[in-house]
Amino acid sequence: MTYGLFMGCLVPNRYPGIEWATEYLLNKKQLNVPTERIDDFTCCPVPGIFYSADKDTWLALAARNLVLAQENEKEILTICNGCYMSLHKAAEKLQDPKQRSKTNKVLKGVGKRYVGEEIPTDGRIKQYRPIQIKHLVEILIHDVGPEKLEEKVVHPLTDLRVAVHYGCHYLRPSENHQIENPNRPRYIDDIVKACGAKTVDYDEKLSCCGAGGGVRSHVKELADALTEDKIKSITKARADVIVTGCPFCLLQFDTAQSSLPGVNIPAIHLSSFVALALGADPLFLGFDLHNISVNPLLRKLRRGAIA
Amino acid sequence: MTGETEQTFIGASRTTVVEEKVILDEEYDPGFAAEIVKYGGRDVKTCHQCGNCTGVCPYSLKTKYKTRNIIKMCQLGLKSLVLHTPWLCATCYRCYEHCHEDINAAEVMIALRHIAIREGNIPDFIVRVSKNVVKYGQSISPSREVEVLREQLELGPLPYARPKHAKNNTEIQHIIRATNYDELIHISARPEEDE
Repeated sequence: MTYGLFMGCLVPNRYPGIEWATEYLLNKKQLNVPTERIDDFTCCPVPGIFYSADKDTWLALAARNLVLAQENEKEILTICNGCYMSLHKAAEKLQDPKQRSKTNKVLKGVGKRYVGEEIPTDGRIKQYRPIQIKHLVEILIHDVGPEKLEEKVVHPLTDLRVAVHYGCHYLRPSENHQIENPNRPRYIDDIVKACGAKTVDYDEKLSCCGAGGGVRSHVKELADALTEDKIKSITKARADVIVTGCPFCLLQFDTAQSSLPGVNIPAIHLSSFVALALGADPLFLGFDLHNISVNPLLRKLRRGAIA
Repeated sequence: MTGETEQTFIGASRTTVVEEKVILDEEYDPGFAAEIVKYGGRDVKTCHQCGNCTGVCPYSLKTKYKTRNIIKMCQLGLKSLVLHTPWLCATCYRCYEHCHEDINAAEVMIALRHIAIREGNIPDFIVRVSKNVVKYGQSISPSREVEVLREQLELGPLPYARPKHAKNNTEIQHIIRATNYDELIHISARPEEDE
């Protein structure tokens, strides 16, 4: 199955380096995961806004994206926890015939109809399953595998101390999706280790970055206060970098720290991290757009490479 | 008046205040729990106030608003008081993972937001981001600095600058009008009327 790449809003508009890194690591020469861009995808839509304000609108906008995957016969690959949860939840809600016909009435106006992905049967009755939504982490763990990833690493990121931040919607709610045990996640840690780095344990590893649910846009000081708590325990664990699979958490770590005195731990996306290990030139990773400079990290890597 | 009551009432760990509180007729809405169910929340009346949700809630630990008390107020039908609390749920769903009664407090908060919006309490950021989606098809407005970097990285134009943007946006706007979302939050979802 080829995956339709779902970039979301934040990556193309704020951190284009992640977009570059994702395409770099999935391409034929690297991890060889068959992907294709679907240019017509729009906002997933963002759960903190549409899911909070009107579920019918949220479902119809999400269904439009799902129909695009259905028409192109693709599974969706996301690099953002928000998109992942939003689309996953929508695909599940659309399994309810009532919801589906209600949403399809709205979609009819734009010439679309959601049925799901056709699954092979003996031919008499057509059967469908929800459009499959995959997080980049799932692809790296299940399709590629840590062993193969380790083989492909050309610049092992040895000596780096990495604080992994999973992000809420990768883990929860487990009633909708369960990539892995929400109380003991390890996949991103495994990927980081396959790249040659060490992961550090810190307090409140599973808690929220502070930004979700519209809190960042609504009461920014409070979101930042939560980030401060996390940053403090990450500093205590002497981490060099925060690695996360969610660009929204990344944005929060990256911007909130500028208003916190005395802390500056760079945060980078999992895609950029793996791309570095696979030998990507850091110049292409768009680190210039980060508020918290990634240079100390790159310097440490260079020192390691020379030694 | 509401502000004061809020202070003492939601002001939280002192449950005795909740127990001694006299509920006035004008504060009481017997259909509140049913309304929450209508907007996709579960029946709050099954909550037995164990407080697990509050113990794991990042914002309950930081502010005077406690998840358990919000749920209690929903049980008591204190609609006007609940709807005047700020939107402080990060929808991190830790409460769901720790709830014995399978209430999913985060989804209750979502339902409360639905009700608040229908009562005319619409936060600015909802309008701002929705307008972005209507205009660009994305929740974030484009930035020139990023566009320059995209050119250097040969990533192609941002979605709003792609040839098929007009068609996609017509679809988005059609959906938003079809579900009456534009009327709900008072925005325009027609390209020609937009600025």
